[in-house]
Amino acid sequence: MMADSVDGTLGVPKAEFLDSVRRSLNRQPVAPDPAYPRLLDDLSSLQEQAQRIRARIAETRPALLDKFADIAEARGWNVHRTSDPENAIAHIQSLADSLGVKNAVRSEQEVFGQVMVDAPLEAAGINMTTVSHGPDSSRESLRSSIIAADIGLTGADYAVAETGSVIVLPRKGLSRLVSVVPPVHLALVRPDDLIESLDDLFVLRRLEYQEKGGDMGSYLNFITGPSRTADIEQTLVVGVHGPKEVHLVLLG
Amino acid sequence: MADIKTRDFSAASAVSILDPQLRKALAQVGTGFDAARRAAIDEVTPELWDEWREEARQIKVHTLDHLDYYLDLLEQNVAKAGGHVHFAKDAAQANEIMGELVRTRNIKVATKSKSMVSEELSLNPALEAQGVDVYETDLGEYIIQLAEETPFHLVAPALHKTKEQVAQLFTDKLGIPYTEDINGLAAAARTALREKFLQADLGISGANFLVAETGTLVIITNEGNGRLSTSAPRIHVGITGMEKVIPSMQDLAVFLRLLPRSATGQGITSYVSMVTGPRRADDEDGPEEFHLIIVDNGRSKMLADPDLREALYCIRCAACLNICPVYQKVGGHAYGWVYPGPIGAIVTPSLIGLKEARDLPQASSLCGACREVCPVKINLPRMLLHLRQKSAESPDSSERSAGLIPNLVAGGYTRLMRSPSLLKLSHTWGRWKQNVWAAMPFFPLTKRNGMIRKTSLPLLSRWTRSRDLPELPKNTFRDIWKKELSQDNDGR
Repeated sequence: MMADSVDGTLGVPKAEFLDSVRRSLNRQPVAPDPAYPRLLDDLSSLQEQAQRIRARIAETRPALLDKFADIAEARGWNVHRTSDPENAIAHIQSLADSLGVKNAVRSEQEVFGQVMVDAPLEAAGINMTTVSHGPDSSRESLRSSIIAADIGLTGADYAVAETGSVIVLPRKGLSRLVSVVPPVHLALVRPDDLIESLDDLFVLRRLEYQEKGGDMGSYLNFITGPSRTADIEQTLVVGVHGPKEVHLVLLG
Repeated sequence: MADIKTRDFSAASAVSILDPQLRKALAQVGTGFDAARRAAIDEVTPELWDEWREEARQIKVHTLDHLDYYLDLLEQNVAKAGGHVHFAKDAAQANEIMGELVRTRNIKVATKSKSMVSEELSLNPALEAQGVDVYETDLGEYIIQLAEETPFHLVAPALHKTKEQVAQLFTDKLGIPYTEDINGLAAAARTALREKFLQADLGISGANFLVAETGTLVIITNEGNGRLSTSAPRIHVGITGMEKVIPSMQDLAVFLRLLPRSATGQGITSYVSMVTGPRRADDEDGPEEFHLIIVDNGRSKMLADPDLREALYCIRCAACLNICPVYQKVGGHAYGWVYPGPIGAIVTPSLIGLKEARDLPQASSLCGACREVCPVKINLPRMLLHLRQKSAESPDSSERSAGLIPNLVAGGYTRLMRSPSLLKLSHTWGRWKQNVWAAMPFFPLTKRNGMIRKTSLPLLSRWTRSRDLPELPKNTFRDIWKKELSQDNDGR
């Protein structure tokens, strides 16, 4: 039977579907026995795990930065390392210049308070758009700015040394499209964003999930190098639907 | 469901095997995908790799054994995040749910990132029947959609197409100037599809994993089409099989390590997108609605059969296709449905019935390479044997793979091997025929390098059509024993 409510559940009712799964498994409607260890983690055990992770990262940060830079480079990022914000700005400026950027779009993230790119880029004649929260009508204009942009600039919520990935999470002033629609993406990574492994990432996310009373946020996006495909004759092509070129400025 | 041509397996593989272009494309499967996979494993060390495989397997064993519990948890958490979960018992119902969603939301254009389940359901024709223009956005899927074909490979759907064919296809269908430049072809697809992403009201995705604890859908792509499909349109519908659920986000780590390495040898793909519900009030963009359609479509039958349950652990990396001597020869289309290769030879008969696909479990040399490469340690040869046994012992003759004559042959062979005198008689006859009759017009034999290449002897001719038969030796062991060895013993 199809339920006819637009917002409700279509298809078979959940209870009926689960019953059929249970029949296949010959199971009673009870929780697994033994209980799954990872799902038993409560707030305090996750806090403890997170504390250990942060302590480990703090101790090994210089080596982790090197590891992250190496792996990111191997995964297709163009990595530029500098701890000087002025140098970072100069690098972005010369990059924009060599790419012939006319329109740029950036998210509104803390790191842009440290690396203030707007004025220098505007001075170079670049039309700069910042993602900012507004009423619904402005969502369309934001979208057209992103579509018109020659480069998208973002920060990172995390940088994972194991995989060379930049992780972005939803928040005010951050668009999902800035890192994927323009032909070039540049990510600014601070040493504080760095974590060692996927395991670290997921422990920290689970902790935040529990701290926020079970809200995950609408997305968690990994970016690791440029968009690529080998769908024609197994020949690598860089830049299909996402950026062809990705740059990473590592502030440390 | 997608057109089922599994009954034609024998005929279709005979055609594929002689296709020079497929030979060329399939030769690259081993040198490309599988070589990259092996290099990636060497990099992490085979010891660590095996630990990961075991960990992943245990997660799958646990989750599938308690699937009702985890599906319930998943549904609650998707709902908590503001999304909707719909359960479909079969393909028709899944398409009906999608139909209801597109009707009530007045959807005209949809983009879709790669989803094998949507191929299984024949979702595209169902959407087209509702007046929706649906565009595949993975480059390989886009090519086969334009060519009106089905996927040739789980990971690289257009593996069988040459750049010349793609060039001609794009000229015909997209009206671009003919170019064999692969970069140029990809750029043409980018331009054509970029427009669609921005027009689309609906983005459809599959799911590589579903995280029960948080209600999160995970998709893994390299092109960015998955991210665009789930970010740009105002509605996102994920559609996937019920076996994709894992308990917690921490369980995801090991799968993110195993899947890309097994599929393409990459340490990680360019994009991993984890979606939890629709956009929130503070988000600048993203879909207003999130729906998840969870499909059974025969999976509960596999769950109920302890001998087939582990096929549901599959993460669709295609490593077993790339290593399989049968897949490497016949390619993906011969398998006749959506899932090719060794895993397809198990999943297909399990989902659509042995009656339709009784030949597929026979399409294996049982060499065991598929089991060795499987990132979740699925024992594929065991299941292939199980399906063969089921087929051989089925009371329903339409499920029996071999049919009357081969069964008679098998029965005769059993009889022969059990009777020393019959065996002796047949050996004598065989040697006589081999020596005297080889050149005679009735049932001639063709020999080369001490092997019988071809015989036109009824029944045996089917065997020698695709395999050589060793010649019978001049003397049997019993003859030698009688004449030489036993005398030596006696003389001592």
